[in-house]
Amino acid sequence: MSRNDGEREDTPDGGEAGRDAVAPDTGTDDTQWSAPSHDESAGSAVVGEGLAIGYPSTEEPVVECERIDVPDGEITALVGPNGSGKSTLLKSLARELAPERGNVILNGRAIEERSSKELARELGHLSQEHDSPSTLTVEDLCYHGRYPYRGLFDSLSAEDDAAVERAMSLAGVEHIADSELGQLSGGQRQLAWIAMVLAQETDVLLLDEPTTFLDLHHQLRVLETLRQLNADEGVTVCVVLHDIAQAARFADYLVALRDGEPYDWGPPREVVTEELLADVFRVDAAVRYTPEPEVIPRYALGERDEPGTDGAETDDADDDGGRPGDRPDAG
Amino acid sequence: MATDTDTATDRRTRPRLASLADGRLFSLCLGSSLLVLASLLVQVSFGTYSMSIAEAWGAVLDPLVWTNPQVLLRFLFGEGLGNAVAGALGLSTAAVDLPTATNIVWNIRLPRVLVAVFVGMALAVSGAIFQAVTRNELASPFILGVSSGAGLTVLLTLVVFSGFALVVPFTAGSVVLSATALLPLTAALGGAVAFGIVYAIAWKGGTSPVRLVLAGVIVSTVFQSLQTALFTFASDIGVVQQALAWTTGSLTGVAWPEVRIALPGTVLAVVLALALARQLNVLLLGESTARSLGMPVERMRFALSAVAILAAASAIAVAGIVSFVGLIVPHVVRNVVGSDYTKLVVGCLFVGPALLCAADVGARLFFEVAFGQPQQLHVGIVTGLVGGPYFLYLMRRQDEMGEL
Repeated sequence: MSRNDGEREDTPDGGEAGRDAVAPDTGTDDTQWSAPSHDESAGSAVVGEGLAIGYPSTEEPVVECERIDVPDGEITALVGPNGSGKSTLLKSLARELAPERGNVILNGRAIEERSSKELARELGHLSQEHDSPSTLTVEDLCYHGRYPYRGLFDSLSAEDDAAVERAMSLAGVEHIADSELGQLSGGQRQLAWIAMVLAQETDVLLLDEPTTFLDLHHQLRVLETLRQLNADEGVTVCVVLHDIAQAARFADYLVALRDGEPYDWGPPREVVTEELLADVFRVDAAVRYTPEPEVIPRYALGERDEPGTDGAETDDADDDGGRPGDRPDAG
Repeated sequence: MATDTDTATDRRTRPRLASLADGRLFSLCLGSSLLVLASLLVQVSFGTYSMSIAEAWGAVLDPLVWTNPQVLLRFLFGEGLGNAVAGALGLSTAAVDLPTATNIVWNIRLPRVLVAVFVGMALAVSGAIFQAVTRNELASPFILGVSSGAGLTVLLTLVVFSGFALVVPFTAGSVVLSATALLPLTAALGGAVAFGIVYAIAWKGGTSPVRLVLAGVIVSTVFQSLQTALFTFASDIGVVQQALAWTTGSLTGVAWPEVRIALPGTVLAVVLALALARQLNVLLLGESTARSLGMPVERMRFALSAVAILAAASAIAVAGIVSFVGLIVPHVVRNVVGSDYTKLVVGCLFVGPALLCAADVGARLFFEVAFGQPQQLHVGIVTGLVGGPYFLYLMRRQDEMGEL
């Protein structure tokens, strides 16, 4: 416990510094997470540099980001309120949307240097919306995940069969392999889609809100599948999550976005603070570590109030005090 | 790991082999084949030259035809090429005298059914591909401007360039290709140009299904106006009637030359459609999924459209613009076998011919049976009359219509 206390003592400084300055080399003296993954691209599976991302219909870029790292072999969660550019950023990292400016580097090589199939063998991307032909079976959907490994007229190989089998068992959809997507619940269908992405056998997985619209059981099933994949096979996972509390518990590393810019990043303990919830999510909430991170939202803050004032009010109202570092002692 | 792979393979072989051995697909194909066969029976038995049903079938099964392969080859490839092929295969090229009944059945009635079969296949497959490429249930060669583009060039060929001929040097002398023989090529060209324009209008850093359909409607409206304008320039009423037959879609008077025109394009398009069925399935997962799986989406759409244009052009070159077949048939099949394109294309290969053959029976014999008059309707009128209400019925019955 004493070691933890010491660490906690340091965290606010690291978090504060990271928040204020976008440059990655500030205030990360002894925080284990952000230092290596931010300073060396070798430690990152995906790096975005100097990104400005927009849509043809928008004049201004939706996302501007000096640098974003997705650390290798870890689970990264992108969090932020609606319209903060999480999905847009993820699309660019997956080469689904070309940035107006800046580069995306995947496994040390510029992402554009790959053919589309090569990319699909290295990086799996599950977008938020996908059409499921209702008569497609789960197994056939998974076989589509083998697309990047097959030539135009190739038939299936034994590896394809093995990969699909493995993907279905990881996602826990073997028992519904022959069911048609139209007959499944939303949660089962999402697991089937995840199985399809797993069948791609990539080292990097990007998922856009895979748990939104699912019941709690299936939310956890999806997250557990990703966790297991990360633990067993060292797959790098980057996932957009809506629920900050879930993200704090589930991810090794968090990137919080506000208005299209990274607000803070690092391990959940450093990033998830009452101040962040007020500043980024416009929510007054209590954050506790027991030692699992717990976020208890209380009420929505007014639009664009002075964040400092809100923070002070929270501190006064809550007997735990305002310093994020102090809070765990109470728990 | 080895055992894993083994069980995986075992698991796999069962459904893969079974994927086409679908009971519903089988019944659909069987039913359609029976309908084609029944149409064939009716078509060869009835007509202006009266012969009994027994006589007609005697003519179909005439041993003079079936035991002399050169006769069949001459039907299929035409007089000159048929003899050449027979010669090359070491078969006799002797002339065979056929009785009148056999001549009528084999030269007039039977090829008409064959053309109907190919046209039905081609239109259905074309529509099925376009529906996946544009991800729109209402897509068909007709909607996307391909039909009107092909129809326009066909009309141009007939009305303006009918005297035009192309002389191609050939090993044994030279082959003179008249404008009519070039029809599938000109039709394909017209269809491709029209679709190219549609694509260009719809392009805005990529295309979207809705923009494609809107652009298609614009282009086909313009092209149809041009078609109508061409009537003004027709020299005599005969040409106008011929042109009218093209724009409504007709099988009147088609024979072996039309079989030769429709066959190669249709077969090629069908083979490609079957080979590319998996690509069509992946496209159905949505554009972003297809792209994230490593498909070059725009290029694939373009290639698949080319196959669909080839199919549509082969049909339009011999039968004109037969409405509704390309739209209706994929719907019927999808309702029965689901959205898997391997099954869908196979189903289309049977249901398309069935619809067109049955419609042609009506077109050819309705007036003759009902009023004792030898007029024939254009088959496009019948498919339109049958297709419209059927489409309405589908729309009413299926709530989820509108999603592919």
